[in-house]
Amino acid sequence: MSDALARFIASGPWPQRAGLSLLVALARRPRGARLLALFPAAEQLAGGLVAMERFEEPALAGALGWDAEAVVARGRELRRREGRP
Amino acid sequence: MRAIGADVCVVGAGAGGAVAAAELAEGGAEVVVLEQGPWHDPDTFTARPVEMMARLYREGGQALTVGAPPILLPLGRGLGGTTLVNSGTCFRTPSRVLERWRGEYGLEELTPEALDPCFARVEEALSVAEVTPELAGGNAAVARRGARALGWSHGYLRRNARGCVGSGVCAFGCPTSAKQHVGITYVPRARAAGARILTGADVRKVLVDGGRASGVRARSDDGSSLEVRAPTVIVAAGTIHSPLLLRASRLGGESGQLGRNLSLHPATAAFARMEEIVDMARGVPQSFYVDEFAAEGVMFEGVAGPPSYAAMSLPLSGERHAQAMADYRRLAQFGLMVSDSSRGSVHALGGRPLIRYDLAEEDVRRFRLGLARMRELLLAAGAREVYLPLPSGVEPELARGRDLKLMAFHPLGSARAHARAGHGVVDGRLQVHGVSGLHVADGSVVPSSLGVNPQLTIMALATRLAYDLLERPCPS
Repeated sequence: MSDALARFIASGPWPQRAGLSLLVALARRPRGARLLALFPAAEQLAGGLVAMERFEEPALAGALGWDAEAVVARGRELRRREGRP
Repeated sequence: MRAIGADVCVVGAGAGGAVAAAELAEGGAEVVVLEQGPWHDPDTFTARPVEMMARLYREGGQALTVGAPPILLPLGRGLGGTTLVNSGTCFRTPSRVLERWRGEYGLEELTPEALDPCFARVEEALSVAEVTPELAGGNAAVARRGARALGWSHGYLRRNARGCVGSGVCAFGCPTSAKQHVGITYVPRARAAGARILTGADVRKVLVDGGRASGVRARSDDGSSLEVRAPTVIVAAGTIHSPLLLRASRLGGESGQLGRNLSLHPATAAFARMEEIVDMARGVPQSFYVDEFAAEGVMFEGVAGPPSYAAMSLPLSGERHAQAMADYRRLAQFGLMVSDSSRGSVHALGGRPLIRYDLAEEDVRRFRLGLARMRELLLAAGAREVYLPLPSGVEPELARGRDLKLMAFHPLGSARAHARAGHGVVDGRLQVHGVSGLHVADGSVVPSSLGVNPQLTIMALATRLAYDLLERPCPS
């Protein structure tokens, strides 16, 4: 699990932390994924978490037209140039 | 224990607290603001949803209601409160809602005429203006095309933004500081007027002496205790936390209404795969509305985000999810929000809020209508495929409450205003019934669902409160 996803899960309320960690762990293993497939709502949540982490990778996001670094750099430049907070 | 004296102590620096603090400080009052969260430096914003949610949201934006169905309730935390992470949409309180407040809750003083100067003042402070078509983005173009084809009422939203370039991440920390959230507008104004703004200060108790507010007791991040002595206290910790603070202080509970009457504006969203490139995260994510069904309690508003956000939100799994994400650039998304008649409650359990809320059948019917119409809208716009947030095989018309995948962004009403002490927590001047000098200024006082985004209502009410306390009219 990436640091960002681990921090995201850790920032949640305690009853959910364990549940989300378990779902992610299951989704990453073939047998776990087969088990999750029996519970569509859980499968969707687990798959969504794993995909959310994956699509934050710059290369994958970039291939879909999203460049977070460029968005941030433009923001910094605008704030510096125009004296924004 | 450290002790500070002031004329006014404000608890919370979100939509209500920051506005009241700035107006009071500029009006000459000595103000102390205690905010539980930190200041978030825009230089640290990364435009990455997973990272930013953990930092900017209370409990990572993962707080859930307990009930049927459970509802995700993301709230901001820090200077700016939820205005830091909202979409920036600005609506004045609809006049039909104010009329209802006067009729049902006896809030005679809350007329459009009385509130107009307050709204105008807030709108000027936040540079509220309609989104331009150029900035509205591909998502809005899709919804606009659908609405026009169907002849449905629609328009571009008004937002508190200045110099926006459509970064597409309003909900994850605006990297250009274009969104005029109260943390970068009213908070600096309050500070410039001499207010002391303390972050990392968790207020545990409101102090009362002889039926009059006398200050608050707080715990700082470093573990030390802090007491602010002030004859006027404004509780503005938000709809979920204000009733908990009042209850912990044994205040405001006489009516039996404290923590009750919680409305949420439950919401959901659908995706569509379009022919054209949409690039939903380019432009303002919430720039467009369709209010054709507003009278029936259903409002459509734009929603969008980067690929990781879409990956989490798509109501698909397995191969279908992968295929849809491979076509992310052609995905459009639009949200729907229900003006709810369901009511929930807030309690404390183990030091954190327990939010009870069950969706009433009347609101389930609104979602059925909304989802059916949402599909119609997206198909009329030319969608190749529409992905509704429902289990596979469930049609909108047959959806049950438990089938719905809901979020909510507008908790209101848990310390509602009512002219009569037996029916509400605060009166029309937002003073807690029976406790002089103790006021509440956040979404908790809003006595009913608004049907529109509430930040402007909260700010206008806070402005009115500030001028009430300053004993002068709000400048028009």
